[in-house]
Amino acid sequence: MTSDEEVALRVRALESLLLEKGLVESPAIDEIIDLFENRLGPQNGARVVARAWSDPAFKARLLANATDAIVELGYEAVQGEDMVVVENTHAVHNLVVCTLCSCFPWATMGLPPVWYKSAPYRSRAASDPRGVLVEFGTAIADEAEVRVWDSNAELRYMVLPERPAGTDGMGEDELMALVTRDSMIGVTKALEAPAS
Amino acid sequence: MSGATSRKITRDVVLGLYKNTGTARVDADVAASFKVGDSIRARNINPTGHTRLPRYIRGKQGQIATDHGVFQFADSLAHGGGKQPQHLYSVRFTAQELWGANAPAQDSLYIDLWDDYLEPV
Repeated sequence: MTSDEEVALRVRALESLLLEKGLVESPAIDEIIDLFENRLGPQNGARVVARAWSDPAFKARLLANATDAIVELGYEAVQGEDMVVVENTHAVHNLVVCTLCSCFPWATMGLPPVWYKSAPYRSRAASDPRGVLVEFGTAIADEAEVRVWDSNAELRYMVLPERPAGTDGMGEDELMALVTRDSMIGVTKALEAPAS
Repeated sequence: MSGATSRKITRDVVLGLYKNTGTARVDADVAASFKVGDSIRARNINPTGHTRLPRYIRGKQGQIATDHGVFQFADSLAHGGGKQPQHLYSVRFTAQELWGANAPAQDSLYIDLWDDYLEPV
């Protein structure tokens, strides 16, 4: 087991070497960190979901042509070139997996979590999605349909979670706070509205 | 290459790497072998190199759910065979077809498959 401190030291040593040897300039490193901390990540997907919950016309465009609707909000980056958004309802629960590797929509959701890339998730999400959902604490009605989306080719998938009950008066920014990365993979639902 | 400076990773290089690098769609007039609703069987191919047709799908019967249009073919690109543009479909397989009678009858799996992977039923 390597501790976080050891990893941090190793990263710092590598960074110093790359800079000293003139292979990387420090603004490039700052740019990568800023990209993945602030610009590519699930906060973008959460904005897309909150907009879809608030604006029926946007939601219709998102489900018909996700790529163009997401670009409308300014989220355009590598691994977001061809997007499909699938909608969770009472009757249908969608779950996304990439059984062959770890394809993930970076522009709206950032880099995939470690478990998403693990062999157990990749095999069991396909063969036993209901079992995986139970392990994530997600209750799905027996009569609902579970749809698994294996994003093995060139399209990238994002789930539009169901809008939680009791959120009728909420604005887009409040709604965004209820949208988690995991709910856009489909392993969980969106967070419940805080008790008022 | 003229020394380290020409290979230096600058801020602009990073920005270039992470911007939209373009779709895998191909603007080519290629006929589709299947239409939405058609029943298909995934071919039982076992290539030694790269393929996007997972083993659990091979030999299974499904239905064309969506025609995504024409895309470059990942398998041939990986093997230096060029884009070989062809239709890419979202294909629906029932959970019971893939995993047997104990799987819930209403559940299903959708996967994107190129024309070359499919044969009519």
